[in-house]
Amino acid sequence: MDLTIAAILIGTMLVLLAGGLWIGLALMAIGILGLFGFTPRAPGDGLAVAVWGVNSSWTLTALPLFLWMGEILFRTRMSEDLFSGLAPWLERLPGRLLHTNVIGCTLFAAVSGSSAATCATIGKIALPELTRRGYPESMALGTLAGAGTLGLLIPPSIIMIVYGVSADVSIAKLFIGGVLPGVMLAVLFMGWVVLWSLLNRDRIPPADLRTGFADKIRASRNLIPVILLIGGVLGSIYAGIATATEAAAIGVIGSLIIAASQRSLTRRSFIEALLGATRLYCMIALILGGSAFLTLAMGYIGLPRHLAEWIATLGLTPGMLLLVLAVFFVVLGCFLDGISIVVLTMAVLLPTIQAAGIDPLWFGIFVVVMVEMAQITPPVGFNLFVLQGLTGRQITTIARYALPYFLLMVLAVVLLYVFPGLVTWLPAHMMG
Amino acid sequence: QTAWDMPTPYPATNFHTENIQKFADDVAQASVGKLKITVHANGSLYKANEIKRAVQGGQAQIGEVLLSSLANEDALYALDTVPFLATSYADALKLWRASRAAVEARLAKNGLKLLYAVAWPPQGIYSKTALNSMADLKGIKIRSYSPTVARMIELMGAQPVTVQAADLTQALSTGVVSANLTSSATGYDSKSWEQLDYYFDVQAWLPKNIVFVSQKAFDALDGATRQAVLDAAAAAETRGWKLSEEKTAWYVDQLKTNGMKVLPPSDALRADLLQVGERMAAEWVEKAGADGQAILAAYRK
Amino acid sequence: MRAFLDFLYRLSGALAAVGMVGTLVMVSTGIVSRPLGIYLPGTDDYAGYAMAACGFLALAYTFKHGEHIRVSLVLERTGPRLRRALEWFSLAGATVVAGMLAWHAVHLAWESHAFGDVSQGVDATPLWIPQLSMAFGTVVLLIALVDDLVLTTLGRTPARLAGAGAEAARME
Ligand code: NA
Ligand code: NA
Repeated sequence: MDLTIAAILIGTMLVLLAGGLWIGLALMAIGILGLFGFTPRAPGDGLAVAVWGVNSSWTLTALPLFLWMGEILFRTRMSEDLFSGLAPWLERLPGRLLHTNVIGCTLFAAVSGSSAATCATIGKIALPELTRRGYPESMALGTLAGAGTLGLLIPPSIIMIVYGVSADVSIAKLFIGGVLPGVMLAVLFMGWVVLWSLLNRDRIPPADLRTGFADKIRASRNLIPVILLIGGVLGSIYAGIATATEAAAIGVIGSLIIAASQRSLTRRSFIEALLGATRLYCMIALILGGSAFLTLAMGYIGLPRHLAEWIATLGLTPGMLLLVLAVFFVVLGCFLDGISIVVLTMAVLLPTIQAAGIDPLWFGIFVVVMVEMAQITPPVGFNLFVLQGLTGRQITTIARYALPYFLLMVLAVVLLYVFPGLVTWLPAHMMG
Repeated sequence: QTAWDMPTPYPATNFHTENIQKFADDVAQASVGKLKITVHANGSLYKANEIKRAVQGGQAQIGEVLLSSLANEDALYALDTVPFLATSYADALKLWRASRAAVEARLAKNGLKLLYAVAWPPQGIYSKTALNSMADLKGIKIRSYSPTVARMIELMGAQPVTVQAADLTQALSTGVVSANLTSSATGYDSKSWEQLDYYFDVQAWLPKNIVFVSQKAFDALDGATRQAVLDAAAAAETRGWKLSEEKTAWYVDQLKTNGMKVLPPSDALRADLLQVGERMAAEWVEKAGADGQAILAAYRK
Repeated sequence: MRAFLDFLYRLSGALAAVGMVGTLVMVSTGIVSRPLGIYLPGTDDYAGYAMAACGFLALAYTFKHGEHIRVSLVLERTGPRLRRALEWFSLAGATVVAGMLAWHAVHLAWESHAFGDVSQGVDATPLWIPQLSMAFGTVVLLIALVDDLVLTTLGRTPARLAGAGAEAARME
């Protein structure tokens, strides 16, 4: 029965999406169909309550503000400066400026708790410059899609808070536990860029003129605004001036100051940035609303819960259990967003996890990496949506570009399984 | 067979949720499977602040909320958060008996039928520094999450600060706030020893969760099933209060085990806080009017 | 009629931008007030309402810029006649879903008023007031979809707002 329901809903979703229905509305349509077809509940007020709830919640406020910050910076000299400052240092590394995507996302992940905000902000700054310099689109978009997901793994992280509360795991330990795996993923991504570039030397544009050390230092002066901005936002969090959510406002004000100091803040550019951010946010908000309603429908129908219950009854060994759960999360991740997956399944899964003797802290990081994958798997993947919003490319195309990074995350999960200390060592030593 | 959906705000491992799960099982058994209640814990169906609305609007049939979270609708709902009015389980139960009829009547106006209420462990003050008297609280930033709590913090001479639950851990470790008012249970669940050093067991108040059902959904049941729900609710109330009281000692113990300095309030602090409590009780009566006065009189008798 | 509709979409978009600024102002106020020792209750809730206004009021404006995303892979690979039919069906489907959303959004605000529903936060806002932004925004989105559906039915090309699609960030 559950399988039939799942097949009907997934089939209809694919038809609606392929038919060109706007994604947020398609998700709502599936939720409505699910409720009418398979539960005694009518969509009714639930539709409005779910859409209102997600779009008016305080924790989301960081997202539109970071999007706005990206739009402001995009209209300054920030991106040229960033690239001219980094280029001399990266000229000898195969892949050169492609690494700015990974480095930028890793740094920005320490500021923002969400994947979409990380992907959008760095994408807005880096994409035009990478395109102008002739870097291949597949790599530019792929690295962004993949590295953007680090926003979830490197603290602060909204999904870790959600998991920590559901699973009764220390949020502080989860935050610290995400640092090494986050750095490891960033290194894996950069390693892939190096490997790909060595295999495709002709597709990477040539370096600017070779520069001496003094020139490098001189060029690095261009990085000062970027460093001040990221330092200011991070500093505001760790100095206790702002919470992780509020820090986005500091980012907007900081980028306005940078724009003003570079004389690129005009009435016109201000309004363009504001309207651009408003539309980009609205695009995401509609999908978030649709996703929230689909989650509500799934809660009523009970599909994810039943699947999780079924897995619990299998009596698997820890290794097999994790393998089955990984497949389960990847499949759910194709259709639901990360927070929904955690909220809908954790109550059922945690007793199974504990019975199997799996450390809930380690499992939390495992779940976060699985949720990172969900950001770049079609048809519902928020980084894909953000990049389609920024570039107008098809989701299917972007998803193809992102595939290597998905596979690298699979590799990362295997590494975490083999070396669990990557997760547990730092929290154990920093917090006793 | 009737199926009810029951959204609840707290995680599956919380004792309120465990108690509710048992209640749902009892109902299924006593009604011989005629009524099946699916518990959706941890805000997975509707979030804490949407649950009352969802039951009222017919999206869910039964639900649980923190009673004082409804205080903006009616001062009556804030009674169990008036500090230092009822500070023991016996007093809290007495206060609940004195106010239950009024709460029932107020909820009935929204088409909701009250089933039962269970208290949380008493609220204490978590802080980074020692608090020997109210002078030590001067200017300290304390997290505020409701009008009552904000008022209490102000009267204590401290500074109320808005921090959302999601940001709390980080806010505590970076000093955005340096103290928190909550129960031993919540302090244990959030592992407060990782950010804070002291727990002052001032037992300010025992807030309650209420479980309520849509009157329409309830009336649609047959007589025997209705009785099964009421019986299970009565049993859940008794069981819940007992569970809560037993757990309190355990929670406080756990705070100690994890290295927190758990202290009773000094005499000076207690005297100061009692004054705050009296003032707030008077302010509550002002807001709650004659009905409130009558409830308080009945409680103090 | 065209002029009025375009004015409506732009007005709604402009109000949405005000919502974005409001979000920034409210969050910043929260940050600044703390070190000053001032307690301004509810800034977090107001930031949420302002953000909601931003997202909902911009719905039609974003739609008319062609910036709500969808998979146009199949659309782009079909001939002109089939493409028109597909466009019509996706617009019709979108109109139905947006119609339900708008209906329930209006109903939610109306019922919040009837129930006397008040926010549970320190702000204690009657919820129907911020929910008006969802009611208004979703109704304007519905109008925009009907607008496009009618034009497509008549065999005309739906109009985008002036300036749409000129975003320099696009890689194409
Ligand atoms: Na992050
Ligand atoms: Na996905």
